[in-house]
Amino acid sequence: MPLRGKPTTEAEKIVFRHEAELPPMTRSMGTVLINKTGSWRYLRPVYEEKTPPCRDACPAGIDIQGFVDMLARGEPLEAWRLIRESSPLPGVCGRVCPHPCERSCNRGEFDEAISIHALERLAADRALNEGVGEEPRAPKEEERVAIIGSGPAGLSCAHFLGREGYGVTVFEALPRPGGMLRVGIPEYRLPRTVLDKEIADIEALGVSFQTGARIGDIGELADYDAIFVATGAHKSRSLNIPGEDAAGVIPGVEFLKNLNLGGKNQAGERVLVVGGGNTAIDAARSALRLGARTTIVYRRTREEMPAIEEEIEAALAEGVDILYLATPRMALVKDGRVAQVGLIKTELAEPDETGRRRPVEVAGSEFMIEADTVITALGEAPDLSFLPEHAGLSEEPREIDGTPVFGGGDAFTGAGTVVHAIASGRRGARAIISRLAGAGVAHEPPGPVVPFESVNTACFARQPAVRMPEVPVAERVSGFAEVNRGLPLTDGLEEAKRCFSCGVCNLCDNCLIFCPDIAVIRLNDSYEIDYDYCKGCGICAVECPGNVISLVEEER
Amino acid sequence: MSIEIPREEYLFSGHTGCPGCGAVLAMRHVLKGLGDKTVVAIPACCWSIIAGAFPYATLNVPLMHCAFETGAATAAGIKAALEIRGDTETTVLAWAGDGGTFDIGLQALSGAAERNDDIIFICYDNEAYMNTGIQRSSATPWKTWTSTTPANTPKETPKKDIVATMMAHHIPYIATGSVAYPADLIAKVRKAKEIRGTKFIHILIPCPPGWRHPSELTIKIARLAVLSRVFPLYEIEDGNHRVTVEPDDTRVSEYLKLQGRFRHLDETDIEVIQANVDREWSRIECLSA
Ligand SMILES: Cc1cc2nc3c(=O)[nH]c(=O)nc-3n(C[C@H](O)[C@H](O)[C@H](O)COP(=O)(O)OP(=O)(O)OC[C@H]3O[C@@H](n4cnc5c(N)ncnc54)[C@H](O)[C@@H]3O)c2cc1C
Ligand SMILES: Cc1ncc(C[n+]2csc(CCOP(=O)(O)OP(=O)(O)O)c2C)c(N)n1
Ligand code: SF4
Ligand code: SF4
Ligand code: SF4
Ligand code: SF4
Ligand SMILES: [Mg+2]
Repeated sequence: MPLRGKPTTEAEKIVFRHEAELPPMTRSMGTVLINKTGSWRYLRPVYEEKTPPCRDACPAGIDIQGFVDMLARGEPLEAWRLIRESSPLPGVCGRVCPHPCERSCNRGEFDEAISIHALERLAADRALNEGVGEEPRAPKEEERVAIIGSGPAGLSCAHFLGREGYGVTVFEALPRPGGMLRVGIPEYRLPRTVLDKEIADIEALGVSFQTGARIGDIGELADYDAIFVATGAHKSRSLNIPGEDAAGVIPGVEFLKNLNLGGKNQAGERVLVVGGGNTAIDAARSALRLGARTTIVYRRTREEMPAIEEEIEAALAEGVDILYLATPRMALVKDGRVAQVGLIKTELAEPDETGRRRPVEVAGSEFMIEADTVITALGEAPDLSFLPEHAGLSEEPREIDGTPVFGGGDAFTGAGTVVHAIASGRRGARAIISRLAGAGVAHEPPGPVVPFESVNTACFARQPAVRMPEVPVAERVSGFAEVNRGLPLTDGLEEAKRCFSCGVCNLCDNCLIFCPDIAVIRLNDSYEIDYDYCKGCGICAVECPGNVISLVEEER
Repeated sequence: MSIEIPREEYLFSGHTGCPGCGAVLAMRHVLKGLGDKTVVAIPACCWSIIAGAFPYATLNVPLMHCAFETGAATAAGIKAALEIRGDTETTVLAWAGDGGTFDIGLQALSGAAERNDDIIFICYDNEAYMNTGIQRSSATPWKTWTSTTPANTPKETPKKDIVATMMAHHIPYIATGSVAYPADLIAKVRKAKEIRGTKFIHILIPCPPGWRHPSELTIKIARLAVLSRVFPLYEIEDGNHRVTVEPDDTRVSEYLKLQGRFRHLDETDIEVIQANVDREWSRIECLSA
C-alpha cells in the first residue's frame, strides 16, 4: 500500500515510461507531497514572541506572563524564582505596588485585568511559608561595592550585584534595613516578616548590612571600587504657617518612623493629617488604629489625590474623614501644644506644571477644627549633604575622588514608588557591573507590545478576577495586623489560568489544529512551520490566542 | 468539551485546496475522529480536486471518486461489498459538497437514508458550486451573491433546510458541525461511527474565494456563524435534539460583514436575516428543551 505511512515521508515523483507501466485502472500510487505548495505563498507566518503590555508597563520589567504561567501550572516556587530575575522584593511589591501592570493588562479590556499583584504576592508567600529562600553564597569577584541606603533601590542594587558575585556592603543610618519599607509603610500593609525574609534572601547572596551607620561624608567610602547612593527622600516639607513649631505638629514620615521603629504613639485624640499622598493615608490609618479620631485635609479633590486608590478607599471604609478643598492657615497653640487648626477653603483653577489643577484660597472662607495633633504629609525631599556638591548626581555615574558614584531611587528619580526604586537599583547594578567588568551588559531590546485587538478573545470565556479577601473593618482598625489576606492557592491557580499569554506561546496547539495545510509541526515545546507546504493563508496567525505568529511579506 | 484532538494525520500536505480552505480542515478533523479504518466516497466537488490528481493522493485512507449524483449510493455499495467480504468494522463515509447533497445528490441520499444503509454521509456545505465557479445551489442563503445570482439580483429563495429533510427520513443520527469547533466535530463523528444505520452530518464551510473573504478569516467566520446562531451546533439522536455549543449574543451582522458575498445587503435585509435566525434558533432551542 504505497499510501500508508506518516505524512512526513519524502514524496517521490512517479514517472511512467511506457504504457505498460500504467496501472490497469487509475489508482493513486504516490502522495501529493510532491506538490511543494509553499510556492503559492506571498505572506510568511513566523513565530515571533512579543512583549505583553503588562510587562511593558511594569517598571521592573517582571516577566509577568512567565510567572503567571508557572502559577497556572501549579509551580508557585518556580514563579517566585522567575520574579526574582527582575525584582528581589515580590512579597513587598505584591502588597504595596500600585500595579501599573494591571492597568495595561489586555484582559482588562475583555472583562477584568489579571490580579497580577495578588499572584505576585502568592508566589512570594509560598516561598516564605515553605521556607524556600536563596542559597547562601560568598562573593567571587575582587571588587567591592558600597551602597548607601537600604531602601528598595539599595536592596535591589545589592541583589543584582550579589547575584553576579560582587562583594557588597550596604550602609544604613537607621537601626534596621529596609528604608521606607521598614519605617514608612505601616505593618498592616506590609508585615515585617515578609520584608525580613526578602532582605535575608539578599543577605544570602553575600551582601552585608551595616545598620546605624549614617554616612556623613562620601569620602568615608574611598576604599570601595564603586558606590551606589540610594538615600531616598526623608526630609518633610514644612507647612509654613504660624504655630507649626508647637508640640503636636509632626512630619508624617517622622510620625510613621517613630511608630514603626519604636512603637512610639505620637497621636493624640484628635488628629488632623495634611496632604493627599501615601504618607498622608498611612499616617491617618495608623493614627486611627492608635485610637484617634482622624481627618485628612487635602487642598484638591479626590481625583487629584496621588495616593493609591485602594488605600484611599480603605481609609474611608475604616472611618477616616477626608476634607477636600481646604488648606491650613495657622495652628492655635494652647499650653504649648496645638489645640485647633485654622483652615481656609480652596477651589481649583487651571492646571499647574504637574497637570493637576492648582488650588486657590477662597477669600473669607476661614474655619476652625479641633486638633491636638497635626501630621504634615506634603511630600519629602532628599538630603544629600554627604556629597561634595548636591546638584549634578543622577542615575548617570560621576567620579568622586577617583571612585565611580552612581545614584538611584527616590533621591534621584523622584518617582516615589517601590517598583521604580527597584528598577533604578537594577539599572545601577548593571551600570556598575559594566564599569567594573569593563564590558557593556547585553540588553535585549523588547519586541513589539501586543495590543488588545490582536488577542484572539474567542479562545477565552468571560470570568471575573478573583480578589484577595480582606479582614472586616471592625476587626482591622483595632490593631496593625495585615488587612489583605492573600489568595488561597487554588484561587490563585484559577486566576493565573485567565491570562491571555499575550505575545508568548503557551503551547495551545491552535496554530497546528487550524492549519489547512498540515504545515505546522510540533516540536517538544515549540513549533515549526514547514515552508515547503505552508500556503500563507494566515489562519494560524489569526487563531493564535496571544498574537505570537506574525505574517511577513514573502520576498520573491 | 474537553476532548483531545488526535495527533494522527490522515491528510498529506501538498494538496491543492485554496489557501485557507475550510473544506480541507473539515476532512482533516473528521478523519482524526474516524481513524484509518475508513473508506471515503467523493462525488464531483472541490474535494475531487483537493484529493489529488492521478497518480498522487491527499488522503491516507482509501478514497473512491464517483459521479456527482452518486455519493450516498456509492458509499452504500462499498459498505455492502465490505460486509460481503466479512469486514463489519470499516466505516464508509460519503463526503459531498452542498451540490452533491442538497441538489443532484439528494435522490441517492434519500434512498440510502430510507433504507437506513450503514454509512456516514457528511455534507461539507460551502453554500454554492465552488469547484465550477461559485454557482448558486439550493444551499445558498437568501440574498447571497454568487456568479449566477449577482449582487443586483441576488438569490431570492431561502436556503433549503437539509436537516429537516433528513429528519423526515427518521435516521438514527443527525448533527451539525463547524471547523471552528474541532473537538465538537470529532466527538460527533466518533458517536456517528458507533451508531448503525445512516448518519448525516452537516458542516458549514467558509470558502475564501467563494465567500469573498480573506483566507485568514476562515475559522473566525465559521465561529461567528455558530455564535450568532446562523449555524447552531446541535445533534439529533433518535429524534432528540441537543445543542452542543451554546451561542452568545453575537449579531448576524458580525458574521455577514466579513464576507464580500453579503456586501450589497442593506439594513433591512440584515434585519430580516436576524429575524429569521432568531426564529429558527427558538425552534431548535424549543426542540432541545
Ligand atoms: C508612608 C509612605 C508610604 C508609601 N507607600 C508606598 C506604596 O504603597 N507603594 C509604593 O510603591 N511606594 C510607596 N511609598 C514610596 C516608597 O516607599 C519609596 O518610593 C521607596 O521606598 C524609595 O526607595 P529608596 O530606596 O529610593 O529610598 P528609601 O526607601 O527612602 O530608603 C533610603 C534609605 O537610605 C537611608 N539613608 C539616607 N541617608 C543616609 C545616609 N547618609 N547614610 C546611610 N543611610 C542613609 C535611609 O535611612 C533609608 O533607609 C511610600 C512612601 C512613604 C513615605
Ligand atoms: C452530473 C454532473 N454535472 C455537473 C458536473 C460539474 N460539476 C463538478 S463539481 C460541481 C459543483 C459541485 O458543487 P458542490 O457539490 O457544492 O461542491 P463544491 O465544489 O462547492 O465543493 C459541478 C457542477 C459534474 N461533475 N457532473
Ligand atoms: S493577559 Fe496576561 S500576558 Fe496579557 S497583559 Fe494581562 S497579565 Fe499580561
Ligand atoms: S495556517 Fe498553515 S498554511 Fe496557513 S499560514 Fe499558517 S502555517 Fe501556513
Ligand atoms: S497558536 Fe498556540 S501554540 Fe500556536 S503559537 Fe499561538 S500560543 Fe503557541
Ligand atoms: S473553492 Fe472553496 S471549497 Fe473549493 S478548494 Fe477553494 S476554498 Fe476550498
Ligand atoms: Mg459547494
